[in-house]
Amino acid sequence: MTDDRNSHHPTLAEPLQLTPEELERYDRQLGPGVLSEAGQLRLKQATALVTRVGGMGGPAAQMLAMAGVGTVIIAHGGEMISPDLNRQVLGSEQVLGKPRAPEFAAYLRTMNRLIEVEAVDHEPDDEEARRLARRCDIVLSCPPTFTERLRLNRAAVEAGIPLIDAAQWGMTGTLIVVKPGETACLQCVYPVEPPFEELFPVVGAISCATGALAALEAVKILSGTGDPLFGQLLTYDGFVGRPSVVKLRRNPSCPVCAHC
Amino acid sequence: MRIRVTYLGRSYQQAASLPEDFELPSEATVKDALAAVNSALDEHPLPESCLVTIAGEHLGSITSYTDRPLQEGDELMLIAPVAGG
Repeated sequence: MTDDRNSHHPTLAEPLQLTPEELERYDRQLGPGVLSEAGQLRLKQATALVTRVGGMGGPAAQMLAMAGVGTVIIAHGGEMISPDLNRQVLGSEQVLGKPRAPEFAAYLRTMNRLIEVEAVDHEPDDEEARRLARRCDIVLSCPPTFTERLRLNRAAVEAGIPLIDAAQWGMTGTLIVVKPGETACLQCVYPVEPPFEELFPVVGAISCATGALAALEAVKILSGTGDPLFGQLLTYDGFVGRPSVVKLRRNPSCPVCAHC
Repeated sequence: MRIRVTYLGRSYQQAASLPEDFELPSEATVKDALAAVNSALDEHPLPESCLVTIAGEHLGSITSYTDRPLQEGDELMLIAPVAGG
């Protein structure tokens, strides 16, 4: 089920410019060292898919919504449970036992009524991932399984749009930023799917930090600001407090991106 | 030659007993360094999908990487894949 009730997105009849209310809302992120008005307008016209919206995808979606990305699509199945609350910022104790996606979307709408939020109440399969990616300008991949991550990677590469893969374990966070046809894709990095670990340990602070950095990369890419981390793996080892950046190699025979 | 080895990602605590620096022969390659690391981790060998990087360059994963000579002071970073959610 897709929930797209929000009605504040501009229609085709409206001029493509920022309204006085939008200029006021985004005032602190407009100017030297941040976004230009043209960049903010590009955000307004952009659509981002975030799946899932737990520890990392939640803060990522929140930052995209607050930054003014015109349409934020969130996908996440299931109902909120108590162990989610050490890291999932889009819900609260009042959401326990309720379906995540519609509740989280409702919260995001309270953060910014100037954008559109759509909720998908399940994890997309191959075909739906492809269909969603074709509607989007960027995909933020934040699920717990590599099956889903590699699926989102395939969908983004096929659609020719950037993918940001955010991941975490314990106190470590990682980001991989993919530009199809130019950089390594996730399949290049993980040609064999790594095993799934259902009950991974994690501290919420690293989830939030990683999700926020994923959103920052998305804002840069969508607005045309700064230098995105294309083709690189950013890690932050929070256990010892150390960031690192690794340049990723493209696999010339990658079954997903070799012919892009 | 002396190189630094850093282990990141899933189950990083399993590498807590690893020395930070490894002494290797002067002609050693990445393959030799990985053998030394695995020897030190005999109870918990590196996962097959672990990424192998040297001096900020990605060489592949444990099962498929481009071997190359090491240099004094190189940092071998091993990144076990993480997902989370």
